[in-house]
Amino acid sequence: MNRRLLSLLLILLAGGAAYLLFPYNLAFLTRILIMIVLVLSLDLILGLAGIATLGQAAMYGAGAYAAGLFAIHVWADPVAGLLAGAVAGALLAAVSGAVLMRTQGLTLIMLTIAVAQICAEIANRARGVTGGADGLRGIRPGKVLGLWEFDFIGITGYWYAFAVMFLVFLALAVIARSPFGLSLRGIHESPERMVAIGVSIYRRRLAAYTMGGAIAGIAGALSAQITQLVSLESFSFTLSAEALIMLILGGTGRLYGAILGTVIFMAVHHVAAANDPFNWLFVIGALVLVVVFFLPRGLVALPASLKRLAKGGRHAGS
Amino acid sequence: MTNKPGMIALAAVSALAVSSAWADEIKVGVVAPFSGPFAQYGVQYQQAIETYQAQHGTTAGEHEITFIYKDVGGVNPDQSRALAQELLIRERVDYLAGFTFTPNALAVGPVITQSETPTVIFNAATSAINAESPFFLRTSYTLPQVSAPAAEWAYDQGIRSVVTTVSDYGPGIDAEVSFKAAFEAKGGTVTDSVRMPLSTTDFTPILQRVKDQAPDAVFAFLPGGPPTFSFTKTYNENGLRDDGITFLGTAETEESNLQALGDLAVGLHTAYHYSAAHDSDENRAFLDALAELHPDGIVNWASVGAYDGVHLIYEMVAAAGTDGPAAVEAALGLAWESPRGPIEMDPETRTVIQNVYIREVARNPETGLLENVETGVIATVGDLGWNQ
Repeated sequence: MNRRLLSLLLILLAGGAAYLLFPYNLAFLTRILIMIVLVLSLDLILGLAGIATLGQAAMYGAGAYAAGLFAIHVWADPVAGLLAGAVAGALLAAVSGAVLMRTQGLTLIMLTIAVAQICAEIANRARGVTGGADGLRGIRPGKVLGLWEFDFIGITGYWYAFAVMFLVFLALAVIARSPFGLSLRGIHESPERMVAIGVSIYRRRLAAYTMGGAIAGIAGALSAQITQLVSLESFSFTLSAEALIMLILGGTGRLYGAILGTVIFMAVHHVAAANDPFNWLFVIGALVLVVVFFLPRGLVALPASLKRLAKGGRHAGS
Repeated sequence: MTNKPGMIALAAVSALAVSSAWADEIKVGVVAPFSGPFAQYGVQYQQAIETYQAQHGTTAGEHEITFIYKDVGGVNPDQSRALAQELLIRERVDYLAGFTFTPNALAVGPVITQSETPTVIFNAATSAINAESPFFLRTSYTLPQVSAPAAEWAYDQGIRSVVTTVSDYGPGIDAEVSFKAAFEAKGGTVTDSVRMPLSTTDFTPILQRVKDQAPDAVFAFLPGGPPTFSFTKTYNENGLRDDGITFLGTAETEESNLQALGDLAVGLHTAYHYSAAHDSDENRAFLDALAELHPDGIVNWASVGAYDGVHLIYEMVAAAGTDGPAAVEAALGLAWESPRGPIEMDPETRTVIQNVYIREVARNPETGLLENVETGVIATVGDLGWNQ
C-alpha cells in the first residue's frame, strides 16, 4: 500500500515539477495531460480487458463535440461539460459496443475503425450543428468550479487537466484492483476459463468498453474546452493509432505505462519537431522500433530488463 | 492548486527573457504543416519567405526580422493553438503567420485577440476566419472570391446550364454554393449539383451522369493530387470534352500538379488569382529569385500567398514595430504590386482585393511545360463571402 501511495505522490510531484520547470510550455504540457487521459482509457480497454481497438477516437470525438455543444447551447460550466463528454462517450461506446463486443480479433479492429469513420462522416454532414470541416466554433468555457478563469498562459488549463487526469488515474487504479478489474484481467488471459467459472464475458467486456468510452469522452471534452474548437480530426484514425502507439511504447496493462508512453512520445515529438520541423518523423519511428524490438513490454519494463541485463541474463525485456 | 508561486516564477523568468532579448529583433512565428502529407505547404511557405528575404534583406524599418517555423502536421486545431501560445509566450514573437487549414486558423483566433498579435494567413480560405479576430489578415484568397467570378464569366461566354461537381467537404460545398448563387443571379441554371466522396478516384459514374444531362459546362472543385488527375482523365475519356461540355474549375490546375496532368489538361478553364505564368516584372523577379535559391522549387498560389504575407509583415513592422493594433491599422488599405498583379488589403474584410483571372492550360512552346495562360481579368474583388 505504501508503495502505491508513493507512486501517486510521484505523479503529483512530477505535475508540480513540470509546471515550475516549463512555465512557457503549459499549453503543450496540457495537451500531454489530455492525451494521457485518452491513453489511460485505451489501457483499460486494451491493456486490462484485451479488447483490440483502433477506434478510440470515436468516443474522444463524441465527448469533444458533446462538451462543445453543451458549452455553447446549455451551460458553460467546464465540469458539467466534462460530464456531458463522459455521457456522450459512454453512450456511444455502449451502443456500438453492444454489437462490437460480440466480435473479436481483426473483425473487431475493423469495426472499431468503421465506427470512428461513421462518426466523422456524420459530423461532416451535420454542418449546421458541428460546423463541418471548419470545426465547431464559439466554445467559451466558464470558470472552473466558479473560481478559476481560463487564462492566456494556460495556468488554469494545466491544473484543471492535471486534476482530471489524476482523478481518472485514481479511478482506474481502483477499478484495476477491484473484482471487476480482476475478472477483466482473467478474460484477457483466458476467456475459456472465465466462461468455465461462470463469468459472462460479453457483459464484462461491454461494461469495460463503456467505461473506456466515458473516459475517452472526458479526454475529448477537455480538449474541446482547452482549444475552444472541435474539428473533424478528433475522430481521425491517426489519433486512435497514435494513442495505441503511445500505450505500446509505455507498456500495456499497467497504468503507469500509459503515462510514461504518452509523456515520452509527445516530448520526443515536440523536441524533434522543434529542432527539425521537416524530418522529425524519423526520430519517432526509430524510437518506436527500438522499444518494440528491445522492450516488447514497453518502457515500464525497462528497469527490470536492465536488472536482468546486469545479471547477465538473456532475453532482456521479454 | 495555488497559482502564486508559479506566477512569481513566471514573472521572474519573463523579466530575464525580456532583458536578454535583442531589442531590435522582431520574430515571426510560422505555423504550418512541415511533415506528413501536407508538408508541401510548409515547403512552399519557407521557400517564398527565404526568397523575399533574399530580395529585400532581413530588416524592415530598424528591425531585424527572423522567422521561427513550427510544424502543425495537418488539420490539428489543438496543436495549432498550443503552438501559437508557445510562440507567443516562450519565443515572444510579435507576429504570427502561416495557417493552411481553416480549423487551425480558427483555433488561434481567441489567442491572438487577447495578445493583440497581427496574424497573416497564407492560405486558409474560409471567409468566416477573419470575423473571428480583428487581428487576422489574409493574403491568400477565399473560395467565393474565385468561384463567383467563374460563374459570371461562364454566363458571359454564353454558357446557360451548368452541373456542379464538388468534393463533399467544407471548401467544396462553399465553392458549390457561391458558384450556384452567382450563376443563378445572372440568369443561368444549375441543373444538377453532385457532391462527390472526398476519397473517391473513380469519377466515371459521376461524369457519365453529367454527360447524360448535356449541360453547357461542368464546374468542378476537387482537392489537388490524385482526384484532380483522375477527374480530368475521366472528363476526356468519357467524351465530355468532345461533346463540348466546358470544364470550369479553380485550383484544379495549380502548378504543383499541373505537369503530372499532362496533355489531358490542355484547354481546361479555371478562374483563379495566381498563375506562375503571370506576365509581369514582379512575377519574373520572384520566379528568378526563387529558382536561384531552390532550383527545383515550384511556385504556386501557396508560394505567392506567403510571399505577399511576408511583404505585409515587413510593411507592418516598418510602420508600427511591435505595436499590434497599430500594425493592423497600418496594413488596412495598403496596396502594392504583387507577383500575381496589383493587390490591396481590404479594410473591411482584411482579405486582399485582387484580380481574378480566367486561365487556359496550354503548353509553353519554349520550355515544353504546361502552364496556366491568363487570358483576361474577369473580376477585381475582395472577399465575396464576407456577408454570407
